[in-house]
Amino acid sequence: MGANVQKKKIDVKRIDKIIKSYDKSEESLLAILQDFQRAFQYVPEEGMRRLARYMDVPESKIYAMGTFYKALSLKPRGKHTCKVCMGTACHLKGAGQILETIERELKVKRNSTTEDGLFTVESVNCVGACAMAPVVVVDEDYSGHVRQSKVMDILDKYK
Amino acid sequence: MEKITITIDGKQVEAIKDQPVLMVARENGIDIPALCHHPELESSGGSCRVCLVEAVQGGRSRIVTSCNYPVRGGLEINTATEQVMKIRKGVLELLLCRVPDSEVIRDLAAKYGVEEPRFFKDEGENNRNKCIACSLCTSVCEEVVGVSAISMQNRGVEKAPGTPYHKDSSACIGCGACAYACPTGAIPMKDEKGVRKIWGKKFKMITCSVCGKPYIPAAQVDWIVKTTGKDRAFFDKCPDHR
Amino acid sequence: MKAITSFEQLEGYREKVKAAQKKDLPTVLICFGTGCQANGAVAVAEAFKEEIDKKGLKVDVNIGFKTTGCHGYCENGPLVVLRPKDVLYLKVKPKDVPEIVEKSLVGSEIIEKLVYRDVNTKETIAQYHEIPFYKYQKRIALRNIGSVDPRSIDDYLLCDGYKGLAKALTMSPEDIISEVEKSGLRGRGGGGFPAGTKWRSCRAVDSDVRYVMCNGDEGDPGAFMDRSIMEGDPHSVIEGMIIGGYAVGAKQGYIYVRDEYPLAVKNLQAAIVDARSMGFLGKGILGSNFDFDIKISRGGGAFVCGESSALMRSLEGKVGEPRAKYIRSVEKGLYDKPSVLNNVETWNNIPVIILNGADWYASFGTKGSKGTKVFSLVGKVNNTGLVEVPMGISVRELVEKIGGGVLNGKKFKAVQTGGPSGGCIPDSKADLPVDFDSLTAAGSMMGSGGIIVMDENTCMVDVAKYFIGFLVEESCGKCTPCRDGLPRMHKLLADITEGRGKDGDIETLTELCDVLTYAALCGLGNSAANPVLSTIRYFREEYEAHIRDHKCPAGVCKSLITYSIDAEACTGCTLCSKKCPQACITGERKKAHVIDTSKCIKCGVCKDVCNFDAVRVE
Repeated sequence: MGANVQKKKIDVKRIDKIIKSYDKSEESLLAILQDFQRAFQYVPEEGMRRLARYMDVPESKIYAMGTFYKALSLKPRGKHTCKVCMGTACHLKGAGQILETIERELKVKRNSTTEDGLFTVESVNCVGACAMAPVVVVDEDYSGHVRQSKVMDILDKYK
Repeated sequence: MEKITITIDGKQVEAIKDQPVLMVARENGIDIPALCHHPELESSGGSCRVCLVEAVQGGRSRIVTSCNYPVRGGLEINTATEQVMKIRKGVLELLLCRVPDSEVIRDLAAKYGVEEPRFFKDEGENNRNKCIACSLCTSVCEEVVGVSAISMQNRGVEKAPGTPYHKDSSACIGCGACAYACPTGAIPMKDEKGVRKIWGKKFKMITCSVCGKPYIPAAQVDWIVKTTGKDRAFFDKCPDHR
Repeated sequence: MKAITSFEQLEGYREKVKAAQKKDLPTVLICFGTGCQANGAVAVAEAFKEEIDKKGLKVDVNIGFKTTGCHGYCENGPLVVLRPKDVLYLKVKPKDVPEIVEKSLVGSEIIEKLVYRDVNTKETIAQYHEIPFYKYQKRIALRNIGSVDPRSIDDYLLCDGYKGLAKALTMSPEDIISEVEKSGLRGRGGGGFPAGTKWRSCRAVDSDVRYVMCNGDEGDPGAFMDRSIMEGDPHSVIEGMIIGGYAVGAKQGYIYVRDEYPLAVKNLQAAIVDARSMGFLGKGILGSNFDFDIKISRGGGAFVCGESSALMRSLEGKVGEPRAKYIRSVEKGLYDKPSVLNNVETWNNIPVIILNGADWYASFGTKGSKGTKVFSLVGKVNNTGLVEVPMGISVRELVEKIGGGVLNGKKFKAVQTGGPSGGCIPDSKADLPVDFDSLTAAGSMMGSGGIIVMDENTCMVDVAKYFIGFLVEESCGKCTPCRDGLPRMHKLLADITEGRGKDGDIETLTELCDVLTYAALCGLGNSAANPVLSTIRYFREEYEAHIRDHKCPAGVCKSLITYSIDAEACTGCTLCSKKCPQACITGERKKAHVIDTSKCIKCGVCKDVCNFDAVRVE
């Protein structure tokens, strides 16, 4: 699945800080996993195991969550995440072709990471900006009315 | 424990309020095929969709899964209407596409006239290895054994049971309850030369002091002793020679 | 902020805030919804601050400055509203700001080039409420959005915020439930279940603990109503839930927000903190003996978590798998306790229903569908965005009067409503009223309010394939029909769109649809057939063209179309040949170009860059 993005050594103190910042309740599990995702660009194994121990929840259950929720990834993502919205309005306005253009130009398949580890390209289901379809989100930056012939200009800014 | 009367296939039967239709039917000699339900596992059922029946209540008719539909007074159940049979056949056809190698599914599907499915099969790198993702294995591991060594991972067609990271699990005690619970025999477990291999982990087995046969993983004994306080010596002999 | 502990104190504080407002202060309100932010609203806001400062003026003393939630007219953002004149400027850029401050805030001139211009009549309209997009709307749910700064509780109080709660606390829970029942409010998330009935059932279950929840998992692709409410008027949802908690007897509420809405989470969190400080949440609310608080729970990127039982499992910290609903969640819901789950828009309507009365609310809408509904009108329509109208308006009116008609003068083909659980309404049915029961009778459903407008270049088979493909990705995998049936449905549809369809495929598809409808475990699976069945119902000939003639009449399905260049329209500008990834377009400068169809991959780049509309797709 794309490049072998280097797994950095995980700062355990940071993991524990995130865990302790929430109520000690299973209701906090998903939010903690998402904070891991934001902090490390993926959910590290140490994070999952420490969380299980702290919450007294079986590791298998937390691992299951990691594989179920698409917001979480068990493998490190690229430096930048490029999400192409595949909502209905975006689909009608050419999102499919935009995604194909990105795949072609970056030489990467959807939902995987480029060889150089710079971009993880994903298709996502509706980001709720439908009036500006088609929409591409790079990291936290939204671009609307994206044209197939101009999408690489947007990505070039992150290179 | 309120006693009520319901009708199944035209027959009036006695039942206890909120009992699942499937259990009431079986108690009265009416067979409804079911794969993913086990009466001792509260969290089981509702997955395979094979046990469908027609339920008529309060003038309203709907197709429901009998394994978890609670009986109430005045309920009328029809287990083999034309529609029920057609839908059940459709479900079995899909199961057969998913696990064409499963004898259990092949036999059941054949009973409903499905020999060769019309749709693509999960083969090659998509081989599901007889697993119908019914969650009986994970349910028994959690509810009965209490270790939750495995869980259902992923979603959609990739949903399958496994240990975290598919590495050998420190929680697994090698009891094999999952393999026994599996309706299609999809969980490989091998006992050879006093060692059990399951979920990628090897378990040394304890041999019976009478017949010398290895019969239970040491890790399983450890777990039982830990959680029940039973005397370890109890396990020196296998069940046949206690 | 000091906590308010009585109704009198609340009204006293509200009067104080009102009195502190500078009457008729020229104010600029900048839309800070996700859409406008994506279009550069942040830079525009900074430019305003800078310019006001440059002119030696003080914000809120000489010129009012506010950032607000989404006006819904996202395509024309960044949107800027000027009060008190109520002028709307569209597509504002930072470079326009000095002129706006000088001419329209300090002065009182209108800058013509920034106002709305009707695409058909060319008429310009400066007044916000005169613009057709807004003129025909009746904004109840969206009442405050665009006027309040979502991060200011004082702003909310200025708009009669928490007045509904104060009134509710003087009523009995039973009376509140009756009022909600009388209003006819039906769930706005798609189910259309009468809210009052749900509350009554929950309260009737004997239990010490009950829960109320808000479903903010708006997953229907094409819908963003709930996003704009959560981002732009978070207090309206909070106030609704406090009233609901009081009515059903719950002490704890949860708002489940999908992961893809970070601004909504932020604004809701800030609003909860403020509400707590002022005593609207916590112990002894407004001096009563009612305790209530709200927690926010974030989704993790799973459409299925919009399904009520899956949402509750996800809230509990588990995987979002639905379960059988033979025992309803009003009896056994979150943690197996009696629970009420309602949609964002449903909760948002509650404060005004209590404040203005059930009869007022029921005066809008139709017999079976009372009140108004927020729709997201998107797709091939001129005015895309959020519109709120009384139930009962026809599809055609929505698309033409408010939407301004189909984009680029193309022919209207259908609207899709209800997302992946809904169906299409073709031209022949476009005079149907938009309400719960009419849409269901026509083979679709209201759903959460997404209305996707489709034109003659939309392939209905492709639309069906799109929705099934979406569901394949989102299926939780628990039950056979959805997990194993949807991919096979998708393969059938893909075969049809790629020229491998066979006679009998439509019948096989319909059979598979039946298995899903009757055998699937949850709403995702048993409504999955709707987009397929409704497109077959109204556009069967399109399916047949794909299967029998290997043609895509709409010009969409790649395997069945050919790209060519109209030699008469082509000016030989060479732009397409430069951009073609296959280098299969040849031609000399200023001479008509030609596509080598044997190499063409139909990516569409040539059509996208051509400024002369010379690329033909057949």
